[in-house]
Amino acid sequence: MQSAVQALFKIMPFLFGIGFIAPLIAQTMAYWGWSPPLGLSPIGFGLLIGGPWGLYATVRGRWI
Amino acid sequence: MTDGIGNPRDLALSGAAAPAAPAADTSPALDTPRTRGDGPAIPLGGDATLDRHTRIALLKEERAIARRFEGGKMWIYPAAAFTCYAIWLSFFPLAIMGWLNLPLAFVLSTVFAVGGYVTSHEAMHSNIARHGTKWRWLNEWTGKVSTIIIVFPFSMARLMHLEHHYHCNHPEKDPDYPDRANGPWHAIYKTWLNRQPGVDGSIHIYKRILAEMGTREAADALKDTVRLQLIFMAVLFAMAWSGYAIEAALIWWLPRHIGLSYIRFYLSWAPHHPREDQGRYGNTRLFKSRLGQIGSIGMETHLVHHLYPSIPNHRTKEAYYALRPILEKRGVHCPEI
Repeated sequence: MQSAVQALFKIMPFLFGIGFIAPLIAQTMAYWGWSPPLGLSPIGFGLLIGGPWGLYATVRGRWI
Repeated sequence: MTDGIGNPRDLALSGAAAPAAPAADTSPALDTPRTRGDGPAIPLGGDATLDRHTRIALLKEERAIARRFEGGKMWIYPAAAFTCYAIWLSFFPLAIMGWLNLPLAFVLSTVFAVGGYVTSHEAMHSNIARHGTKWRWLNEWTGKVSTIIIVFPFSMARLMHLEHHYHCNHPEKDPDYPDRANGPWHAIYKTWLNRQPGVDGSIHIYKRILAEMGTREAADALKDTVRLQLIFMAVLFAMAWSGYAIEAALIWWLPRHIGLSYIRFYLSWAPHHPREDQGRYGNTRLFKSRLGQIGSIGMETHLVHHLYPSIPNHRTKEAYYALRPILEKRGVHCPEI
Protein backbone atom coordinates (compact mmCIF):
# COMPACT_ATOMS: atom_id res chain seq x y z
CA MET A 1 0.00 0.00 0.00
CA GLN A 2 2.77 2.37 1.03
CA SER A 3 4.79 1.71 -2.12
CA ALA A 4 1.68 2.16 -4.28
CA VAL A 5 1.01 5.56 -2.68
CA GLN A 6 4.65 6.53 -3.11
CA ALA A 7 4.50 5.56 -6.80
CA LEU A 8 1.29 7.53 -7.20
CA PHE A 9 2.86 10.66 -5.70
CA LYS A 10 5.94 10.21 -7.85
CA ILE A 11 3.86 10.53 -11.02
CA MET A 12 1.42 13.03 -9.51
CA PRO A 13 2.68 15.97 -11.63
CA PHE A 14 1.89 13.96 -14.78
CA LEU A 15 -1.53 12.99 -13.42
CA PHE A 16 -2.11 16.64 -12.52
CA GLY A 17 -1.20 17.62 -16.07
CA ILE A 18 -3.82 15.38 -17.63
CA GLY A 19 -6.27 15.38 -14.73
CA PHE A 20 -6.50 19.10 -14.11
CA ILE A 21 -4.39 21.27 -16.40
CA ALA A 22 -5.75 19.71 -19.60
CA PRO A 23 -9.45 20.32 -18.83
CA LEU A 24 -8.58 23.71 -17.33
CA ILE A 25 -6.92 24.75 -20.61
CA ALA A 26 -9.86 23.40 -22.62
CA GLN A 27 -12.49 25.15 -20.50
CA THR A 28 -10.52 28.41 -20.34
CA MET A 29 -10.27 28.42 -24.15
CA ALA A 30 -13.99 27.77 -24.44
CA TYR A 31 -14.72 30.56 -21.93
CA TRP A 32 -12.70 33.10 -23.93
CA GLY A 33 -13.94 31.75 -27.27
CA TRP A 34 -10.50 30.68 -28.48
CA SER A 35 -10.23 27.93 -31.08
CA PRO A 36 -7.48 25.33 -30.78
CA PRO A 37 -4.99 25.16 -33.67
CA LEU A 38 -4.64 22.31 -36.20
CA GLY A 39 -8.31 21.41 -35.96
CA LEU A 40 -7.82 19.91 -32.50
CA SER A 41 -10.66 19.71 -30.02
CA PRO A 42 -10.24 21.91 -26.91
CA ILE A 43 -9.64 18.90 -24.65
CA GLY A 44 -7.26 17.41 -27.22
CA PHE A 45 -5.28 20.63 -27.19
CA GLY A 46 -5.43 20.68 -23.39
CA LEU A 47 -4.04 17.16 -23.21
CA LEU A 48 -1.35 18.05 -25.73
CA ILE A 49 -0.16 20.82 -23.39
CA GLY A 50 -1.03 19.34 -19.98
CA GLY A 51 0.33 15.83 -20.59
CA PRO A 52 3.87 16.75 -21.71
CA TRP A 53 4.02 19.60 -19.18
CA GLY A 54 3.12 17.22 -16.36
CA LEU A 55 5.61 14.71 -17.69
CA TYR A 56 8.29 17.41 -17.75
CA ALA A 57 7.48 18.31 -14.13
CA THR A 58 7.63 14.65 -13.12
CA VAL A 59 11.03 14.12 -14.74
CA ARG A 60 12.59 17.49 -14.04
CA GLY A 61 11.06 18.06 -10.59
CA ARG A 62 9.89 21.56 -11.48
CA TRP A 63 6.98 22.97 -13.41
CA ILE A 64 9.10 25.68 -15.00
CA MET B 1 21.17 26.51 27.53
CA THR B 2 18.67 28.34 29.69
CA ASP B 3 18.65 30.49 32.75
CA GLY B 4 18.10 27.29 34.66
CA ILE B 5 14.37 27.72 34.92
CA GLY B 6 13.18 24.77 32.86
CA ASN B 7 13.22 22.88 29.62
CA PRO B 8 12.15 25.16 26.79
CA ARG B 9 10.78 22.22 24.79
CA ASP B 10 8.37 21.21 27.55
CA LEU B 11 7.25 24.74 28.14
CA ALA B 12 6.65 25.44 24.46
CA LEU B 13 4.66 22.21 24.17
CA SER B 14 2.36 23.27 26.95
CA GLY B 15 1.87 26.59 25.25
CA ALA B 16 3.70 28.40 28.03
CA ALA B 17 6.62 30.66 27.42
CA ALA B 18 10.03 29.19 26.88
CA PRO B 19 12.65 30.45 29.29
CA ALA B 20 15.37 32.74 28.21
CA ALA B 21 18.58 31.56 26.69
CA PRO B 22 21.49 33.94 27.15
CA ALA B 23 21.50 34.86 23.52
CA ALA B 24 24.56 36.05 21.71
CA ASP B 25 22.56 39.01 20.50
CA THR B 26 24.04 40.70 17.49
CA SER B 27 21.29 43.26 17.14
CA PRO B 28 22.44 46.56 15.64
CA ALA B 29 20.96 48.21 18.71
CA LEU B 30 23.93 46.97 20.70
CA ASP B 31 26.27 49.23 18.76
CA THR B 32 24.11 52.27 19.27
CA PRO B 33 24.74 54.46 22.34
CA ARG B 34 21.65 54.47 24.54
CA THR B 35 20.04 57.90 24.59
CA ARG B 36 16.62 57.20 26.07
CA GLY B 37 15.99 58.76 29.42
CA ASP B 38 14.59 55.56 30.88
CA GLY B 39 17.76 53.54 30.29
CA PRO B 40 19.51 51.80 33.16
CA ALA B 41 21.96 53.75 35.36
CA ILE B 42 24.68 51.28 34.50
CA PRO B 43 24.63 50.77 30.71
CA LEU B 44 23.64 47.23 29.82
CA GLY B 45 24.99 46.44 26.42
CA GLY B 46 22.60 43.60 25.72
CA ASP B 47 21.71 40.10 26.78
CA ALA B 48 25.19 38.63 26.35
CA THR B 49 26.71 41.19 28.69
CA LEU B 50 24.01 41.18 31.37
CA ASP B 51 24.91 39.38 34.56
CA ARG B 52 22.85 36.39 35.62
CA HIS B 53 21.00 38.26 38.36
CA THR B 54 19.92 41.02 35.97
CA ARG B 55 18.81 38.52 33.36
CA ILE B 56 16.65 36.61 35.83
CA ALA B 57 15.16 39.83 37.21
CA LEU B 58 14.34 41.01 33.70
CA LEU B 59 12.86 37.65 32.81
CA LYS B 60 10.59 37.69 35.85
CA GLU B 61 9.45 41.19 35.00
CA GLU B 62 8.95 40.19 31.36
CA ARG B 63 6.84 37.18 32.33
CA ALA B 64 4.69 39.19 34.70
CA ILE B 65 3.90 41.66 31.92
CA ALA B 66 3.32 38.93 29.33
CA ARG B 67 0.87 37.10 31.59
CA ARG B 68 -1.48 40.10 31.40
CA PHE B 69 -1.92 39.53 27.65
CA GLU B 70 -2.54 35.79 27.63
CA GLY B 71 -6.03 34.63 26.71
CA GLY B 72 -8.80 37.14 26.03
CA LYS B 73 -11.56 36.90 23.46
CA MET B 74 -10.45 33.55 22.08
CA TRP B 75 -13.93 32.67 20.79
CA ILE B 76 -13.22 34.86 17.77
CA TYR B 77 -10.83 32.24 16.37
CA PRO B 78 -13.23 29.25 16.25
CA ALA B 79 -16.07 31.56 15.18
CA ALA B 80 -13.98 32.89 12.29
CA ALA B 81 -12.65 29.44 11.38
CA PHE B 82 -16.03 27.69 11.22
CA THR B 83 -17.80 30.60 9.51
CA CYS B 84 -15.14 30.94 6.82
CA TYR B 85 -14.98 27.17 6.30
CA ALA B 86 -18.76 26.94 5.91
CA ILE B 87 -18.80 29.82 3.44
CA TRP B 88 -15.92 28.29 1.48
CA LEU B 89 -17.60 24.86 1.36
CA SER B 90 -20.81 26.47 0.09
CA PHE B 91 -18.87 27.85 -2.88
CA PHE B 92 -18.66 24.38 -4.44
CA PRO B 93 -22.38 23.62 -4.83
CA LEU B 94 -23.09 27.28 -5.60
CA ALA B 95 -20.47 27.22 -8.38
CA ILE B 96 -21.90 24.03 -9.85
CA MET B 97 -25.40 25.53 -9.80
CA GLY B 98 -24.05 28.67 -11.44
CA TRP B 99 -25.10 30.91 -8.55
CA LEU B 100 -21.64 32.06 -7.55
CA ASN B 101 -19.78 35.28 -8.33
CA LEU B 102 -16.49 33.55 -9.14
CA PRO B 103 -14.13 36.56 -8.88
CA LEU B 104 -15.57 37.37 -5.44
CA ALA B 105 -15.35 33.71 -4.39
CA PHE B 106 -11.73 33.63 -5.55
CA VAL B 107 -10.82 36.69 -3.45
CA LEU B 108 -12.67 35.36 -0.40
CA SER B 109 -11.15 31.88 -0.74
CA THR B 110 -7.68 33.41 -0.85
CA VAL B 111 -8.41 35.47 2.26
CA PHE B 112 -9.77 32.35 3.98
CA ALA B 113 -6.66 30.38 2.99
CA VAL B 114 -4.39 32.95 4.66
CA GLY B 115 -6.67 33.65 7.61
CA GLY B 116 -7.13 29.95 8.21
CA TYR B 117 -3.50 29.62 9.11
CA VAL B 118 -3.92 32.32 11.77
CA THR B 119 -6.86 30.55 13.42
CA SER B 120 -5.13 27.17 13.22
CA HIS B 121 -2.01 28.74 14.67
CA GLU B 122 -3.85 29.59 17.88
CA ALA B 123 -5.05 25.98 18.03
CA MET B 124 -1.50 24.71 17.47
CA HIS B 125 -0.49 26.43 20.70
CA SER B 126 -3.65 25.23 22.47
CA ASN B 127 -4.61 28.85 23.04
CA ILE B 128 -8.31 28.19 22.42
CA ALA B 129 -8.50 25.37 24.99
CA ARG B 130 -5.80 23.42 26.79
CA HIS B 131 -5.47 19.64 27.11
CA GLY B 132 -8.03 18.15 29.47
CA THR B 133 -10.37 21.13 29.46
CA LYS B 134 -14.05 21.13 28.50
CA TRP B 135 -13.54 22.99 25.23
CA ARG B 136 -10.50 21.04 24.04
CA TRP B 137 -12.49 19.55 21.11
CA LEU B 138 -13.16 23.07 19.89
CA ASN B 139 -9.44 23.81 19.87
CA GLU B 140 -8.76 20.68 17.81
CA TRP B 141 -11.59 21.19 15.33
CA THR B 142 -10.71 24.84 14.87
CA GLY B 143 -7.25 23.72 13.86
CA LYS B 144 -8.54 20.96 11.61
CA VAL B 145 -11.01 22.98 9.56
CA SER B 146 -8.71 26.00 9.29
CA THR B 147 -5.95 24.45 7.20
CA ILE B 148 -8.04 22.37 4.79
CA ILE B 149 -8.00 25.11 2.14
CA ILE B 150 -4.21 25.14 2.07
CA VAL B 151 -4.14 21.31 2.07
CA PHE B 152 -1.92 21.24 5.13
CA PRO B 153 -3.45 18.99 7.79
CA PHE B 154 -3.55 20.36 11.30
CA SER B 155 -1.64 17.39 12.73
CA MET B 156 1.29 18.09 10.40
CA ALA B 157 1.02 21.86 10.76
CA ARG B 158 1.12 21.66 14.56
CA LEU B 159 4.07 19.27 14.73
CA MET B 160 6.11 21.30 12.27
CA HIS B 161 5.22 24.60 13.89
CA LEU B 162 6.24 23.41 17.34
CA GLU B 163 9.50 22.10 15.87
CA HIS B 164 10.01 25.56 14.40
CA HIS B 165 9.63 27.04 17.89
CA TYR B 166 12.03 24.53 19.47
CA HIS B 167 14.72 24.96 16.82
CA CYS B 168 14.05 28.39 15.39
CA ASN B 169 16.55 29.22 12.59
CA HIS B 170 18.48 25.97 12.98
CA PRO B 171 19.55 24.99 9.42
CA GLU B 172 18.79 21.29 9.92
CA LYS B 173 16.06 21.21 12.54
CA ASP B 174 13.85 24.21 11.82
CA PRO B 175 11.21 23.02 9.29
CA ASP B 176 10.81 26.61 8.08
CA TYR B 177 14.50 27.07 7.33
CA PRO B 178 14.04 26.46 3.55
CA ASP B 179 12.23 29.83 3.47
CA ARG B 180 15.54 31.60 4.14
CA ALA B 181 16.17 34.16 1.39
CA ASN B 182 18.37 37.17 0.67
CA GLY B 183 15.54 39.64 0.21
CA PRO B 184 11.80 39.98 -0.40
CA TRP B 185 11.86 39.07 -4.10
CA HIS B 186 14.08 36.11 -3.44
CA ALA B 187 11.70 35.11 -0.63
CA ILE B 188 8.70 35.24 -2.96
CA TYR B 189 10.60 33.10 -5.46
CA LYS B 190 11.47 30.62 -2.69
CA THR B 191 7.81 30.27 -1.73
CA TRP B 192 7.22 28.92 -5.25
CA LEU B 193 10.47 26.96 -5.54
CA ASN B 194 9.97 25.10 -2.26
CA ARG B 195 6.65 23.72 -3.50
CA GLN B 196 8.12 22.20 -6.65
CA PRO B 197 7.87 18.40 -6.69
CA GLY B 198 11.55 17.59 -7.06
CA VAL B 199 13.08 20.43 -5.04
CA ASP B 200 14.39 19.72 -1.54
CA GLY B 201 11.83 22.14 -0.14
CA SER B 202 9.35 22.19 2.67
CA ILE B 203 7.62 18.81 2.31
CA HIS B 204 10.94 16.94 2.00
CA ILE B 205 12.25 18.66 5.13
CA TYR B 206 8.99 17.83 6.91
CA LYS B 207 9.28 14.16 5.95
CA ARG B 208 12.87 14.00 7.18
CA ILE B 209 11.98 15.65 10.48
CA LEU B 210 8.97 13.35 10.95
CA ALA B 211 11.18 10.32 10.28
CA GLU B 212 13.67 11.57 12.88
CA MET B 213 10.88 12.10 15.39
CA GLY B 214 9.70 8.52 14.85
CA THR B 215 6.61 8.98 17.02
CA ARG B 216 3.06 7.82 16.42
CA GLU B 217 2.00 11.45 16.06
CA ALA B 218 4.60 11.92 13.34
CA ALA B 219 3.38 8.83 11.44
CA ASP B 220 -0.24 9.98 11.78
CA ALA B 221 0.65 13.45 10.54
CA LEU B 222 2.24 11.99 7.43
CA LYS B 223 -0.82 9.79 6.79
CA ASP B 224 -3.13 12.79 7.25
CA THR B 225 -1.04 14.73 4.72
CA VAL B 226 -1.24 11.92 2.15
CA ARG B 227 -5.02 11.60 2.68
CA LEU B 228 -5.70 15.33 2.37
CA GLN B 229 -3.51 15.67 -0.72
CA LEU B 230 -5.29 12.74 -2.38
CA ILE B 231 -8.68 14.25 -1.54
CA PHE B 232 -7.50 17.59 -2.94
CA MET B 233 -6.38 15.99 -6.19
CA ALA B 234 -9.52 13.84 -6.46
CA VAL B 235 -11.77 16.91 -6.05
CA LEU B 236 -9.77 18.93 -8.60
CA PHE B 237 -9.74 16.08 -11.14
CA ALA B 238 -13.41 15.25 -10.67
CA MET B 239 -14.52 18.87 -10.96
CA ALA B 240 -12.24 19.52 -13.92
CA TRP B 241 -13.46 16.52 -15.93
CA SER B 242 -17.07 17.37 -15.05
CA GLY B 243 -16.71 20.76 -16.68
CA TYR B 244 -15.88 22.84 -13.59
CA ALA B 245 -12.12 23.26 -13.96
CA ILE B 246 -12.22 27.06 -13.79
CA GLU B 247 -14.42 26.93 -10.70
CA ALA B 248 -12.06 24.43 -9.02
CA ALA B 249 -9.07 26.58 -9.93
CA LEU B 250 -10.61 29.76 -8.54
CA ILE B 251 -12.12 28.28 -5.39
CA TRP B 252 -9.33 25.96 -4.26
CA TRP B 253 -6.25 25.54 -6.46
CA LEU B 254 -5.19 29.18 -6.92
CA PRO B 255 -6.27 30.40 -3.44
CA ARG B 256 -4.22 27.60 -1.94
CA HIS B 257 -1.08 28.56 -3.87
CA ILE B 258 -1.45 32.29 -3.33
CA GLY B 259 -2.30 31.69 0.33
CA LEU B 260 0.71 29.43 0.88
CA SER B 261 3.04 31.96 -0.71
CA TYR B 262 1.59 34.77 1.41
CA ILE B 263 1.86 32.66 4.55
CA ARG B 264 5.42 31.60 3.77
CA PHE B 265 6.45 35.17 3.02
CA TYR B 266 4.80 36.89 5.97
CA LEU B 267 4.73 34.20 8.62
CA SER B 268 8.08 32.64 7.92
CA TRP B 269 10.48 34.77 5.91
CA ALA B 270 9.66 38.33 7.04
CA PRO B 271 9.81 37.88 10.83
CA HIS B 272 12.86 35.60 10.81
CA HIS B 273 15.00 37.22 8.15
CA PRO B 274 18.03 36.79 7.94
CA ARG B 275 17.72 33.56 9.97
CA GLU B 276 21.21 33.80 11.40
CA ASP B 277 20.46 34.11 15.11
CA GLN B 278 19.06 31.21 17.10
CA GLY B 279 18.88 33.06 20.42
CA ARG B 280 15.64 33.76 22.26
CA TYR B 281 15.75 37.50 21.59
CA GLY B 282 17.43 37.41 18.21
CA ASN B 283 15.72 34.61 16.28
CA THR B 284 12.77 36.83 15.35
CA ARG B 285 12.82 40.47 14.33
CA LEU B 286 10.42 43.30 14.93
CA PHE B 287 9.63 45.28 11.80
CA LYS B 288 7.26 47.80 10.32
CA SER B 289 5.29 46.32 7.44
CA ARG B 290 3.96 48.35 4.52
CA LEU B 291 0.75 46.35 4.83
CA GLY B 292 0.38 47.12 8.52
CA GLN B 293 -0.33 44.75 11.38
CA ILE B 294 -3.44 43.21 9.77
CA GLY B 295 -1.94 42.94 6.27
CA SER B 296 1.13 41.26 7.70
CA ILE B 297 -1.12 38.96 9.77
CA GLY B 298 0.32 40.29 13.02
CA MET B 299 3.88 39.41 12.07
CA GLU B 300 5.34 42.85 12.85
CA THR B 301 5.42 41.78 16.48
CA HIS B 302 6.12 38.09 15.92
CA LEU B 303 8.94 38.23 18.46
CA VAL B 304 6.30 38.51 21.17
CA HIS B 305 4.74 35.28 19.92
CA HIS B 306 8.07 33.46 20.01
CA LEU B 307 8.71 34.70 23.52
CA TYR B 308 5.17 33.99 24.73
CA PRO B 309 3.14 31.68 22.43
CA SER B 310 0.19 31.88 24.83
CA ILE B 311 -0.39 35.51 23.87
CA PRO B 312 -2.94 35.37 21.03
CA ASN B 313 -2.15 36.92 17.68
CA HIS B 314 -4.54 39.86 18.12
CA ARG B 315 -2.84 40.95 21.36
CA THR B 316 0.83 40.76 20.37
CA LYS B 317 1.07 44.42 19.36
CA GLU B 318 -0.42 45.57 22.64
CA ALA B 319 1.92 43.19 24.47
CA TYR B 320 4.88 44.46 22.47
CA TYR B 321 4.46 48.01 23.70
CA ALA B 322 4.15 46.78 27.27
CA LEU B 323 7.25 44.60 26.92
CA ARG B 324 9.24 47.13 24.93
CA PRO B 325 11.23 48.66 27.81
CA ILE B 326 12.40 45.20 28.90
CA LEU B 327 13.22 44.15 25.36
CA GLU B 328 15.29 47.28 24.92
CA LYS B 329 17.21 46.48 28.07
CA ARG B 330 17.87 43.09 26.52
CA GLY B 331 19.38 44.84 23.51
CA VAL B 332 16.51 44.08 21.13
CA HIS B 333 15.97 46.61 18.34
CA CYS B 334 12.44 47.88 19.02
CA PRO B 335 11.02 50.03 16.20
CA GLU B 336 7.78 52.00 16.23
CA ILE B 337 5.11 49.70 14.82
